[in-house]
Amino acid sequence: MKEFYEQLLEHDLNPYLLFDSNGKIKSYNKEAEFLMNFVGVKELFELAVSNASLNFGFNHKYITLKYNKQSYYAILVGYISDDEIALRLYKSVSNQVHTIDDQKLKLINIFSLIELSKNSVLLNSNLNIVEVYDVSIPEIKLNINDFLLCLNDCFLYFSNDKEITLQVQIKIGEYEILNNKKHKIISLEFATDRKVQVDQDLEKKASKANANIFFNHNHLRLELPIIL
Amino acid sequence: MKEFIAISDLSKKIINIANMASTLPVNVLIIGEVGVGKKLLSTNILPNSIVFDGKFLEQSILSKTVNLSQYPDMIVTNIQNVINKKEFMENLNGVKVVATSNFMIDEIEDLFAIKIDIPPLCQRDEDLEQLKKIHYEKAKDVFDVKIDLDELDIDLSQNGISLKKSIFKSVFIKSLTDDDIKKSMEYFLHKKILEKKDYKELLQYFEIPLLDAAKKEFNSQLKMATNLNINRMTLRKKIEQYNLDY
Repeated sequence: MKEFYEQLLEHDLNPYLLFDSNGKIKSYNKEAEFLMNFVGVKELFELAVSNASLNFGFNHKYITLKYNKQSYYAILVGYISDDEIALRLYKSVSNQVHTIDDQKLKLINIFSLIELSKNSVLLNSNLNIVEVYDVSIPEIKLNINDFLLCLNDCFLYFSNDKEITLQVQIKIGEYEILNNKKHKIISLEFATDRKVQVDQDLEKKASKANANIFFNHNHLRLELPIIL
Repeated sequence: MKEFIAISDLSKKIINIANMASTLPVNVLIIGEVGVGKKLLSTNILPNSIVFDGKFLEQSILSKTVNLSQYPDMIVTNIQNVINKKEFMENLNGVKVVATSNFMIDEIEDLFAIKIDIPPLCQRDEDLEQLKKIHYEKAKDVFDVKIDLDELDIDLSQNGISLKKSIFKSVFIKSLTDDDIKKSMEYFLHKKILEKKDYKELLQYFEIPLLDAAKKEFNSQLKMATNLNINRMTLRKKIEQYNLDY
């Protein structure tokens, strides 16, 4: 019977992790393994400890979390001894089908849009940008208007910094499925020397431009599918 | 056709942005003080487009006296004067709009993928020098007089507009002959006489410029009195009477 519950947890769509009192992982399921590609064990342990109930038992908490592309709407933290603490995260379910309106896309060189956005937004700024571009990126189809609005805000986000590095490259081994087709991904990574904070307006604009946006430590990454 | 002067690095960047914007199907908002060249830049982006004043176009849309479907693109000046800006822009959906405004308008900011903020002329030294030369050359041809560029009395309160006016005025003043001065004074004083001004009141129009000119040249009351051949006490009285800050 115990084995059955273990199997059930292993196949659960929600991540589950079991820590010892020092924060080392004792057990985790497949989803947690995937999650740990994007978030550190220490961060997850701290999340569990800071949301644990005062006494032994289980504590549900409805909080919004986002790691990489996945959002979570709640967590469950439980412990029945001082030796172990368990954390379960509940995925926000989306039945949104990833589609894109081809009619609004136009073939364009992404670097010309980056140049345009950078020059117009930072016209009076002293921000120094170290550009690391993969110039082999071909012209791609984009909704130019929505992409520019999103890109403008990305540059605006760093307009008071002294220096950033902007790296534009094709991601190796990662794809996005749109309209049932597999597309390679371009990543625009803005790196600075300070911690970046999640900006919900920027997230909305990125979503409208069919891009994913990630705020991790000191960098902001915009990813969009290569539609040819 | 007049062109947007772009000698400074900043203006060259602006021209590059405008050139790129002209090839893209997105709206452009040009922001800047009066006289910085917003309209000129907008015609750089859409050289063959119709130009509408924002408020006039809003009224025309409301009264249905304009057929928007015939315009694939247009320039809208002074969009800051449009009352319902969002509704106005919704009506222009499908039209490429290059709009100008004296200031950023948060309400419709997201409807313009490209925003160009043109700095005032005082922040664009190279452009200012070039504009000075252009206007001076024209003024020199009109009034047929040569002066040093440093002698121009420049007014940048309305950027290019006031600059042009002030240069023409400077050159015009330098071109005046004794007869011109007499004629213009006669015309001016005649108007004042019609306003029932008497001799004492009109005297200031002779005396103040005279005292200013003497101050400029001699820079001390003693020298002024000596050279103008008037009593020092009389000079002091005049300065006090006209409340001059010497």
